[in-house]
Amino acid sequence: MNMRIFKNYFSLILVAGLFAGIVSCEKEIIANYEVNEVDVLDGDLIKTRNKSDKQYTSILYTTLYKKAISVNKLVQTERVIQSFGDKSLIHEIIVSNYMNSGEVELPSDSFMRANPDQFIIDTYKKFYVRLPSEMEISFFRNYIEANPNVTTELVYTAFAASDEYQFY
Amino acid sequence: MNINSIESTKMERKEFLIKTALGAAGAITAPYILPTGRLFARTNAEMADHVVYVLFAGGVRQQEAVLKQYLAGSQDVDIEGNIMYNMLEGDPPDRKIVYGTTPVGEPVGSQPIPKLLNTTFQRMGTIFPEVQAVNGGHYGGLNSLITGNRSTSQGLKKRPNYPSIFEYLRRHRGFKATECWFIGNTIMNSVPLLNSSNHPDYGTQYGANFVAPGVTFGSDGYNTLANAKVYHPQEELEPIYRMKAFLDNTFRVRNGEIDGIRNTEDEKIEIKEFVRDIFNKGGVPQPPVSDNGDMRNLAYAAQVMKWFKPKLTVVNLSSVDGCHSNFSGYLRSLHRADHGMAWLWNYIQTQIPEMAGKTILIATPECGRNERPNPIQDENDWFAYDHSGDYNTSRIWTTMVGPNVPANLMVGDPDNRVGRATDNVLTIAEIFGVKSDVQNAGLVDPGSASLFDRI
Repeated sequence: MNMRIFKNYFSLILVAGLFAGIVSCEKEIIANYEVNEVDVLDGDLIKTRNKSDKQYTSILYTTLYKKAISVNKLVQTERVIQSFGDKSLIHEIIVSNYMNSGEVELPSDSFMRANPDQFIIDTYKKFYVRLPSEMEISFFRNYIEANPNVTTELVYTAFAASDEYQFY
Repeated sequence: MNINSIESTKMERKEFLIKTALGAAGAITAPYILPTGRLFARTNAEMADHVVYVLFAGGVRQQEAVLKQYLAGSQDVDIEGNIMYNMLEGDPPDRKIVYGTTPVGEPVGSQPIPKLLNTTFQRMGTIFPEVQAVNGGHYGGLNSLITGNRSTSQGLKKRPNYPSIFEYLRRHRGFKATECWFIGNTIMNSVPLLNSSNHPDYGTQYGANFVAPGVTFGSDGYNTLANAKVYHPQEELEPIYRMKAFLDNTFRVRNGEIDGIRNTEDEKIEIKEFVRDIFNKGGVPQPPVSDNGDMRNLAYAAQVMKWFKPKLTVVNLSSVDGCHSNFSGYLRSLHRADHGMAWLWNYIQTQIPEMAGKTILIATPECGRNERPNPIQDENDWFAYDHSGDYNTSRIWTTMVGPNVPANLMVGDPDNRVGRATDNVLTIAEIFGVKSDVQNAGLVDPGSASLFDRI
């Protein structure tokens, strides 16, 4: 009796094993989930908030020097901005002061003239965190080509003193 | 000379006279376009080309100022005398002198500062010795002096709710930004916000240039601005401004979104040259005694005037506010404020020919101080005074001096209060011929009047 029960169980296990083997031999499908590449620089970025004096100074310094500003220098610059009525004007003077330090990291003028479109795109990304429109690229390309006196320093100064750079 | 040439000369003279008369009539009646785009016919003649308006601020007690009571009105010490002897008539105190400078080995403040003016402001001009302040606090008081409005709901760290005198003049009289300056003694206490209101009909587009020389030209300013590159106007600045103009045009900013006033490109170049000039000089002429911030502020104000010849220059002083804790220091500051005012007046008359004889100077404290002292005593055991809103706090004075200001005139007395702190805005508006425009705007204290109308 016991021997018959054992045979039945054995058969059942054998059938189940064969079935599992057949099923487990199916070729595995590897699912590969990805996301589409999206440019995070929004060409139509709407900036509505005015940077505080502290934000403007800190961001400007990092943009030009590629390092963070010291707390002392930040406070000092913030006080100077507050001591002047025309913010745009005082920003210009501060930028020209930085430019005169000899430590600002600027692209070379030869790079700008050899690759004006790339230089313009890079500059818009650096200062405005957005891509330029075709019209903007066209203006700067034509302006740079038509004016041999224009340097990367002058372009950077114009961007740093512009209205859009005061907003985020 | 023959007859023909005489007749020809007569004809030329006649033509000249006719043309001159027509030209003059045209100048009087011809409308001109103001910044608002509106056509205006100028109706009132100007009384002076320039106004210097000193906010003789910090809170000044009548007792130590126009009442000339020295210690008798405050410390129960029977010594009277005038410690503002450049502005006011009257002999100085003869004992317990603490308000001057300190010669080596002598008691503190025992050497009075020598008088700078041969003729006092009181004798040269008009004094309103009993004027009503409309606010007992600094910011409210300064606001009333700048806006001509009582504005009881004015908050701190906010631009004034009502237009400032700068905005009235720039909008209705067409002055440029560099023709209106506010020289602040600090960047604290909302002072940098007083160069313009946030009123929708006026605002920063009509504001004055502001500078706080102690910061701009102090160590902070030196470290931040003094090394600024000098760009060539045509070869470098012009491209910068051309590119900036393009960038600004593609990013339209709604009016009022960018804080602060704006100068034209030419004005910016002028201001940059001024800033550079100050740093290059390494120092500016100062009053003979310049041992506090007020004196240095007046010194830089004089440089602004010398460079720009502004139509309106407003200068803020505040050292006397040390009276909260040091009465002797307050006396020293008051004495120096008088000294500084005299120096500034002399500087205008002798060093700025474009403004000499053509400038009206007006000075008013923004508030008085309490009648009763607080418990704080100084090195002389004298009690200090706050300004917390009693009747004495509302007692201030105004002095005016310059062309078309009646000489040696006193209007009012302690029993006959004449004038309000808010009067100065209409007074300045009248000096520049736009009083009716300011009145018609309906934004000044209805109880205020030009001081010329109160005489």
